[in-house]
Amino acid sequence: MPRKEIEGDWVMGWPDRKRYRLSPSKDQEGRTIHARTPFLELEGLITPTDAYYIVAQLQMPEPVHPDDYSFEIFGEVENPVTYTLGDLRKLPGHTVRAVTECAGDDTEFWDYLESRAKGGNMPKPSRTVREDVEGVDWHGMAESGALDLEELSSLIPATCIVSGGEWTGTRLREVLERVGIKDSAVAIRVEGFDRGRPDPTIQYRSVGRTDFEVHDPGVINYDKGLPIEKAMDSETILAWAHNGEYLTHVHGAPVRMVVPGWAGNWWVKWIHKIEVMDRMPDCYHQTHYFVSGKEPNDPDKEMMTALGVKTVITEPLEEESPLPADTYAIRGLAWSGEGAMVRVEVSTDNGETWNDAHIEEHADRYLWRRWSYLWDAKPGYHTLMSRGTDEEGRRQPVTEWNFQRKHFDGIVPVDIEIE
Amino acid sequence: MHIAVCIKQIPDPEIAPSLFRVDEDAKQVIVVPGMSPVISPFDEQAVEAALRVRDAMGEEAEVRVTALTIGDESARRILKHVLALGADDAVMMSDPAFADSDGYATAYALSKAIAKLGAVDLVLAGRQAADFDAGMVGPGLAELLGVPAITFARKIDVVDGAVRVVRVLGDGSETVEAPLPALVTVSHEMGNVRNASLRETMRAAKKPVEAWAPADIGVDAGDVGAKAARRTLERLYVPVSDAQCEFVEGDGAQAVASALARRLVEEKIV
Repeated sequence: MPRKEIEGDWVMGWPDRKRYRLSPSKDQEGRTIHARTPFLELEGLITPTDAYYIVAQLQMPEPVHPDDYSFEIFGEVENPVTYTLGDLRKLPGHTVRAVTECAGDDTEFWDYLESRAKGGNMPKPSRTVREDVEGVDWHGMAESGALDLEELSSLIPATCIVSGGEWTGTRLREVLERVGIKDSAVAIRVEGFDRGRPDPTIQYRSVGRTDFEVHDPGVINYDKGLPIEKAMDSETILAWAHNGEYLTHVHGAPVRMVVPGWAGNWWVKWIHKIEVMDRMPDCYHQTHYFVSGKEPNDPDKEMMTALGVKTVITEPLEEESPLPADTYAIRGLAWSGEGAMVRVEVSTDNGETWNDAHIEEHADRYLWRRWSYLWDAKPGYHTLMSRGTDEEGRRQPVTEWNFQRKHFDGIVPVDIEIE
Repeated sequence: MHIAVCIKQIPDPEIAPSLFRVDEDAKQVIVVPGMSPVISPFDEQAVEAALRVRDAMGEEAEVRVTALTIGDESARRILKHVLALGADDAVMMSDPAFADSDGYATAYALSKAIAKLGAVDLVLAGRQAADFDAGMVGPGLAELLGVPAITFARKIDVVDGAVRVVRVLGDGSETVEAPLPALVTVSHEMGNVRNASLRETMRAAKKPVEAWAPADIGVDAGDVGAKAARRTLERLYVPVSDAQCEFVEGDGAQAVASALARRLVEEKIV
């Protein structure tokens, strides 16, 4: 198979590589409400803002002018305070670089790996972002009776909902210490301006079946109850800037929460209120959705927090197979929800033997790391795999199967034929 | 063999209807900030059709594809785009005299430009521009050139000095043939258009875009544009559609169906 042609485009009037941009789903006003990141087409560690994935659980709110913006902190505090964006920017700043990954990223790979292990023929989920199908709006399908999970999965694979970015703001801790949180504080409930009735389509899509009742909380604001320990973590920030620019509306402007290591649903956008609580709150997106458990009625469901340990092979890919015998760099990305990745191993023989890959070191614990392994590829059929280990000693995979199929971090084989 | 493809720059048809506005006094579409105009999708498929003919005929046929457009200076972008897709030459007619052409004036100017190109064997155009959807320029251009016109093509082959076209019908398709030179308008059933490659885009940067004024195509300024238009635009407006939703109720499916049937008869819908 010939090497894939590099696509061209006009960039600032010059012929150049095509700049990959989102092919988003839009609402009837032409506003973006969902988009995936074509990370296989990108290079480096920071995903350009125009290619950063977008997921909103409820209705996107109307924008708020930065000069009119404020949010209140109240609850178990000595001095309830209302902060404007200007107030917030007077506090000591902090910048973090971290992976944002949707809890549902790669969800179909759970089923794919199970099918493969049993000798099944489930097609491998695609990590290609196809521009011609990205505009499908699936919202409300469950209630309209038009939900076809198989078709939906084939149209919009739940892949590529992961990006790497730089976020600038102030530590949440700075704010909490200034208002004097009481010793009774257990959780920080952060509420966004986004409001709506959760669409059951999202849960059915996540679980992969429709034979259960989805809890209906009615119309709610999006909220999460961040445990106090994570709220006080030095890397948890209230961000007003992203990738060197003021935050854009689709990413939560004027201010959003950034919770490095934890799934994207914790990164509450469009912050409206911060309530310090003496108990864990009953947030829909924490006690009914984004929960572990073996089945919908499992009494032991728990909120899901930190991402697992994950590596992804970005090249070579099945689409390029067969390849001529040569030396190839097997490359990829590695990240963990509990800190820096310290080791990536690669297997070229279906997991029989493993060899250490080179990891590109950097100082950002929660940002993915690039890795590579030189492979002297001989003729034959080869199954490539990668697995990572983080600084806490967790080795991929660490996440158990759960009925909502969240936080996938399994080892995904890549089948390559060498001629 | 020489193929001329006529293309037009239009407001992005993907724009949300709620953002679309017209200036009723000036009788013009208001440009939405941040929404770049695009090549009319049918015209892009005409370019794809030309490139497929060139690919099918092979290098020995020495097929040359020239793109032409009438529009303001910003239309240079779509010519650069089709050059990056693989067109060989590009001609733009952006002289103010060409402004506000109607279908006739556009076809007339294009006919003169194509005559200037010399021996053109095949002229391709989108089946209609995706802004006003009039679909007049293609057949009008064929009339002015004195060549046969085949419309709504989904597949085009050049065989033994003739063009063989599979054209779309309301309930299927038919295959027709005409001797060259001929004009064919292309429908979206032609299929997906190719992506521009980096190599072709770099090559396109070195291809010149010729700018022709009325004098260059041998006509007076008064013979083109608004002055030559035969159509009078009486009014330009966004139609208001009024949708009303009525829930028909009843005790059981049969009662609901009966009530619905009654309402449909009352409204003279059935």
